[in-house]
Amino acid sequence: MKKFNPGFVHTPVTPFKADQSIDFDTYSRVLDFHINNGADALALPMPQGEDISMTEVEQRKLLDFAMKQVKGRLPVIAHIGDPGTDIAVARARYAESLGAAAIAAHPPYFWHPKPSMVAEHLIRVGGATGLPLYICTPVVEDAGTHLTAEIVLDVLKRLDNVAGLVDSSMRFVFMVEVLSLGREIKPGFQLLSGTDYMVSNGVVGGNGVFSPLASVAPKLARQLYELCAKQQFTQARKLQEQMALLHHTLKTAGYAGLKGALRLMGRECGEPRLPRSSLGAAETARLAEQIAAMPFLQGEPRGW
Amino acid sequence: MSTVMTAPPRAADKKPPFVLRGVMQAPVTPLNDDFSVDYDRFAKMVDFHVRNGAPAIAWPHHKAESPNLTMEERKLGAEVMVKTVARRVPVSVFVGSLSEEDSLDLARHAQKIGADMILTISPYCRRPTQEEIFRSITRIGSHTDLPVLTYNSPWRNGEGVEFTSTLVQRLIERLPNYTGMKDASFHSEKFMEISRVALNMRPGFSIVMGLEHLLASYPLGACGSFSSCGAIAPNLCNRFFAALVANDWETARTCQYKITKLYRLFKDQYPSSLKGAMISMGRDAGPIRSPLPTASKERVDFLCQQLEELGVMDTEPHGW
Repeated sequence: MKKFNPGFVHTPVTPFKADQSIDFDTYSRVLDFHINNGADALALPMPQGEDISMTEVEQRKLLDFAMKQVKGRLPVIAHIGDPGTDIAVARARYAESLGAAAIAAHPPYFWHPKPSMVAEHLIRVGGATGLPLYICTPVVEDAGTHLTAEIVLDVLKRLDNVAGLVDSSMRFVFMVEVLSLGREIKPGFQLLSGTDYMVSNGVVGGNGVFSPLASVAPKLARQLYELCAKQQFTQARKLQEQMALLHHTLKTAGYAGLKGALRLMGRECGEPRLPRSSLGAAETARLAEQIAAMPFLQGEPRGW
Repeated sequence: MSTVMTAPPRAADKKPPFVLRGVMQAPVTPLNDDFSVDYDRFAKMVDFHVRNGAPAIAWPHHKAESPNLTMEERKLGAEVMVKTVARRVPVSVFVGSLSEEDSLDLARHAQKIGADMILTISPYCRRPTQEEIFRSITRIGSHTDLPVLTYNSPWRNGEGVEFTSTLVQRLIERLPNYTGMKDASFHSEKFMEISRVALNMRPGFSIVMGLEHLLASYPLGACGSFSSCGAIAPNLCNRFFAALVANDWETARTCQYKITKLYRLFKDQYPSSLKGAMISMGRDAGPIRSPLPTASKERVDFLCQQLEELGVMDTEPHGW
């Protein structure tokens, strides 16, 4: 397996039109924006791209479009989130055929398989291609089967092309256990943050991030990433606090909050796809006030 | 949309006359073979920790089997701790219990015997609301002049007793003697919210991690931890904190990884295996009260072998 260090990975949103179809014209601008604003790689569709709201056919089209638009300017990591093993395997192979640089997959949610079956799912999806596999923690931890350190270590022992873990659990003990014990099995095993809480991830030995908020504040996210990459964790605290404030502000509204913030930054990406609701007028006004009250966003790019 | 907090006006700070910093030790409770508390050995345990670099002593945490101790035993143990430490380092008394009246009684007692602070939690096992926790902590905190730390113990299933940043803000506004927290969230986002709000409102607010899960939070404002493995490896604890202070992250990682391995040994039926491992270090703290199991001979042998493999036997003190 070729060594791959993704570094600072952006996770683009998926723009939708008013009729709920994917807005590919805007998506091309989204991808170019990320390429021009500090991304080392892209991962898509990911939860920020509303992966589970798209059909399997749409997800294939989205990846196909992205690969053509990116044209090799950056590595593209294909996120495979299907809860059905055979469907996920087929889509992983499709991603490899398009030239994806790696696969990111997580345990099948909705089902409640035993830990051994979670491992089996990940091994089959990861083993379907020769690409590096990044195991992602589930977006909703308490749904389905919890991803334990033991499951990750089991997969790591049995599958050669596991490159690392993308952690969105933010749990200190899990991160330390997976990384320290994982590196005893495979010395190059990577831990990446799946959130913009990069300091904790970096200081325990992580070395990269899938940044959900890089679409809103790419400069802040990049600066935070670089301080962590230089092991300047204490110095990174102020930026981490700013990022935490942005995260906390957008969190409750979810995708609507993220897309609302993008609108305020001059990058209209439409509304979240149903059944996710949009922000109402009062919520939009409040979000505008909160964003305006964050001076650290003043240096961030507006528009495309 | 959630409320985003800035720093509003608050009650005047009442700064404690000490600074909490470092890997602080929370002794186990040694028991005799008949399961009574062995106060002489407890005094030895406390003294061992102070002599081996503990920057503070805290008792009786769950590691000390606090839910299995009577109020009388907790009071007597607290007196032994205060007397043994003899002002060499600050002393914290954990007053959390199932009954709020017991917590008030323990808080009064802690102040009377000359403890330096109390650690408390609202009565658990009741799925308390944030408002109930606020009222409980306000009542306990208003009942003493001592600095008060709260124990943040959210459980994964949403139960437990969670101190959100909003609750911490309200408590700082309400209680001038609310000076810190033991954080067992072990979670980047939860920790950051508490740290962001508390340290901006009350500089010097002490966020002390549970169980030495300290590396991930130290750069974000944690001041130390209450130790899980200090009874086995105090040198490792001190080396770990010195590396953090020096921002020597490579050494800190090595220490954190080893401490995590130790805790993986101890976490099953904690603190049963911890007491079992102490035997190999020449510090036998006796059995565990039911319903927890006392480590079997086979378990003790296994733990001894693991400590040898981790290099603990050659680098840490033996005996009292």
